[in-house]
Amino acid sequence: MIKKIVYFTALMLVTALMPMHLSIHKASAAWTAPDQEDAKKRAKEVVPFIKEYKDEHKTARKISLMDAGVSINDVKDVYFLLDSPIIKEREDHYEPVRFAHKRHAALTKDCSKCHHLRPKDEKELETTRCSACHQDSFNSEHPERIGLKAAYHQQCIECHRTEAKGPVDCKGCHLQNVPDHKNLVKLPDNADVFQVTAECLRCHDAQANDMLTTAHWLWRGPSPYTTGHRKDIMHGKGTTALNNY
Amino acid sequence: MSHKAAPLNKKFWTPGVLVMVAFMIAGGIAILARFTGGIGYVANLSNARPWGLWVGVDVATGVALAAGGFTTAALAHILGKHFYEPVTRPALLTALLGYTFVVLGLLVDIGRSWAIWKPMFNWNTNSVLFEVAMCVMVYLHVLYIEFIPIVAEQFKDRVNLPGPLSIFNALVNLLLKMADAILDKIMWIFVILGVVLSCMHQSSLGSLMLIAPTKIHPLWYTPILPLLFLTSAFAVGYPMVVFETTIVTSSFNIDSEMEVLSPLTKITTFLLGIYMFLKIGDMLIRGTYVYLFDGTYQTNSFIVEMLIGVIIPWGMLLFEKVRRSRKALFTAATMIVGGVALNRINVFIVAYKPPLSEGGYFPAPGEILVTLGLIATLMFIYRVIVTYLPVLQAPKEVSS
Amino acid sequence: MKINRRNFFKVMGATAVSGSSLAALPSDLTAWESKAPPDPYGCLVDLTRCVGCRKCEEACSQVNGLPAPERANCQCTIFEKKRRPDDKAFTVVNRYFTGKLDNFDKPLPTYAKVQCMHCQDPACVSACIVGALTKDETGSVRYDVSKCIGCRYCMVACPFEIPAYEYHDPITPRVMKCTFCYDRISKDGGVPGCATICPTEAITFGKRADLLRVAHKRLDENPGKYINHVYGEKEAGGTSWLYISSVPFEDVNLPALPDNPSPKLSETIQHSLFSYLWSPIVLFSTLGALMYKSNKSNPENSNGKRGTLEEKNITKGGA
Repeated sequence: MIKKIVYFTALMLVTALMPMHLSIHKASAAWTAPDQEDAKKRAKEVVPFIKEYKDEHKTARKISLMDAGVSINDVKDVYFLLDSPIIKEREDHYEPVRFAHKRHAALTKDCSKCHHLRPKDEKELETTRCSACHQDSFNSEHPERIGLKAAYHQQCIECHRTEAKGPVDCKGCHLQNVPDHKNLVKLPDNADVFQVTAECLRCHDAQANDMLTTAHWLWRGPSPYTTGHRKDIMHGKGTTALNNY
Repeated sequence: MSHKAAPLNKKFWTPGVLVMVAFMIAGGIAILARFTGGIGYVANLSNARPWGLWVGVDVATGVALAAGGFTTAALAHILGKHFYEPVTRPALLTALLGYTFVVLGLLVDIGRSWAIWKPMFNWNTNSVLFEVAMCVMVYLHVLYIEFIPIVAEQFKDRVNLPGPLSIFNALVNLLLKMADAILDKIMWIFVILGVVLSCMHQSSLGSLMLIAPTKIHPLWYTPILPLLFLTSAFAVGYPMVVFETTIVTSSFNIDSEMEVLSPLTKITTFLLGIYMFLKIGDMLIRGTYVYLFDGTYQTNSFIVEMLIGVIIPWGMLLFEKVRRSRKALFTAATMIVGGVALNRINVFIVAYKPPLSEGGYFPAPGEILVTLGLIATLMFIYRVIVTYLPVLQAPKEVSS
Repeated sequence: MKINRRNFFKVMGATAVSGSSLAALPSDLTAWESKAPPDPYGCLVDLTRCVGCRKCEEACSQVNGLPAPERANCQCTIFEKKRRPDDKAFTVVNRYFTGKLDNFDKPLPTYAKVQCMHCQDPACVSACIVGALTKDETGSVRYDVSKCIGCRYCMVACPFEIPAYEYHDPITPRVMKCTFCYDRISKDGGVPGCATICPTEAITFGKRADLLRVAHKRLDENPGKYINHVYGEKEAGGTSWLYISSVPFEDVNLPALPDNPSPKLSETIQHSLFSYLWSPIVLFSTLGALMYKSNKSNPENSNGKRGTLEEKNITKGGA
């Protein structure tokens, strides 16, 4: 326990400064990530339902996308927040998934993997959004069409499975809706960092143990993408980097 | 046989009776536990095994072994073989008590005992159980009506209620006499009705399991299960009379009634023969004999049921010598009774093996105590009744 | 026992009249007919889509006011033992390793949800002594606790071993099983709790006829992916819940069942024997005739006195 508190206090030094951060944000009329705001806005949009699609074989679809010259360079929206009201209407158990669109496009190098069919109407976009065709579940007029939630899950999980990359369990992608911690956290007014860490560990002991075994904590190695450290070969959180995940 | 039924003039409290009372108390405690802690508290029943000892023994076996009542009534009253009348009264009493305890057993077994009247108003005519329940209910009343003349015979003009109730003496006497007089004229309706109802529910008891083809071992699951139940009920009727008469006459040390029992079992060779023929024929036609020597507890139980419960005693009864010997006859009758009882237990408990769920079934001590307690109570009441009412044949030395 | 001539003919006459008034009887004796609703709802469970998240268990317990599922968030050790629906859970998900391997030669699990199949001709409905169980137009097999007496014959009858019992309630135990969320699906646009929450639409809710089409389409369009069989299309005469799978159904504890509706045999026997009570009436008449004959042919016993052995016996005994 003591060992854990010492470890985490280092981590908590940052966390303890959080209120300060927040107050700075409030004071300076809030810097927000433009990507995030765009993604939020996009997530709220519901486009008209596309009833008919062009029936193409997988391979044909891949070729016609290539023929149309669709490539990663056409990806305009780098990042999506999968938070459509189509899903939220029925239920709301999890935080929305953050989907790195461009990153996935770069990894798969095959747009047809997700944009597997196109609308029958030639005027529509070649790569229309998921929620244009997949909306509410169990549409009795299109019984074979799966809903948006199922489309996301089937697409993600299936691909993560076959590629053996990416999470396949719930919490790999979702944060569960977090209960309000206002009344759960019990700290004295001027709590010191050790008290704060101990208070977190009061409930999150399992998470703490998990953390100690993860790459976030143990990772040592090259860091070619870290600005200013591109040439360090033995860097990483297990050695010099700050554990401020 | 040339004597009449009379109350038994014997000491009541014997060591045997005390043992019965002990079982009754133990059973009573188990029943109390069932009605405070729930069925799950005393029984090993589960979602996969919803019926166990209480249905298999208290109900199914109870009904089968009460077949002596309608089979003797049919023989003596309907077919006019009055020679057999001496055994009709004890058989009637056994049937009456048997069915009473079927109902008591059911009250323990069903989850909502207080709702047992509901089938009278909510009919599901597709349900085999509904038909069984209706028949058992009506038949129980028929049995009580058939028993009224015996009560009347004893108490007519002798009604003497205790204490303050004695003011009703005249009224009760009048009622008894009226009932006796009316019943004398219409009793034949109840006698026939008793036989009809018995045929209906004895067979339907077999239909009960037809709805679960995948759960019943193929050695027992056959579309003619109702016919097998009916013929086995016919077959077990007289052996049951032999069984209980022999026990009663030897325990009370009265006449053995062999002159009635011997010819009675001659009929049994025929009835049991039909049952055996159907059962073996069914096995051959459906080709289920391939399972016979699987060596599982189920197939072994089937072999015991057939061999010791049907084939051997049938062979024994073919011999005049066996039918004349009290001991040998009792042995054969006991085997048949045991065989039919085992058949009911087999169909309802042993053959029942739900394929999806894990885990078997063996009755919990609480279940066994309830069943033993009910059987002990039945025997106790039988003893009380034969002590005070003219059921058994009076000993010869008294009447002749 | 006396059988008086006038009495006898009175009763027998009445029996005969009631018998002949039922001369039109064979209408009910004709072949057994299914009582299945014409256009029920159903659910199609695609086992290839199920990821074993057990959200359906959670949704079910919330919708039906049951206790939270055992270790609701566990998707691992919970699967080590095979579970069955019980009085506290109308549906459970089990994991099966059937020998299938994934692309990396790791054993591939198949998850299968179990719940009431809502048969088209349910054995439990036929068995229920008081008609507490009914097959609704929506397809739901409903349970009316106010009629139930607790005989548990429904549990004996069910080929899927679904109904569970509150064995630890001494006075008012109930039969517990999936309700097909009747209160939801009977309303327009209502969907069962489990189907609503299922993240992969492994459960598709809709009209049974549509689902059968969808199921066959999926089998046709994905050759080799599925076992070429829609479980529940014909099993036990058809069920409202249907399953398709890439592994044999026996391997995921869905039993091989005859196509005959479970109640067919027993109902056929019951109705051909007891429609209009014809067989008891015939038996009654026959036995009555026999009794009359045997009494007449035996004048000693029908000489006007109480035709009993007792009196005879007394005289004989005295002799």
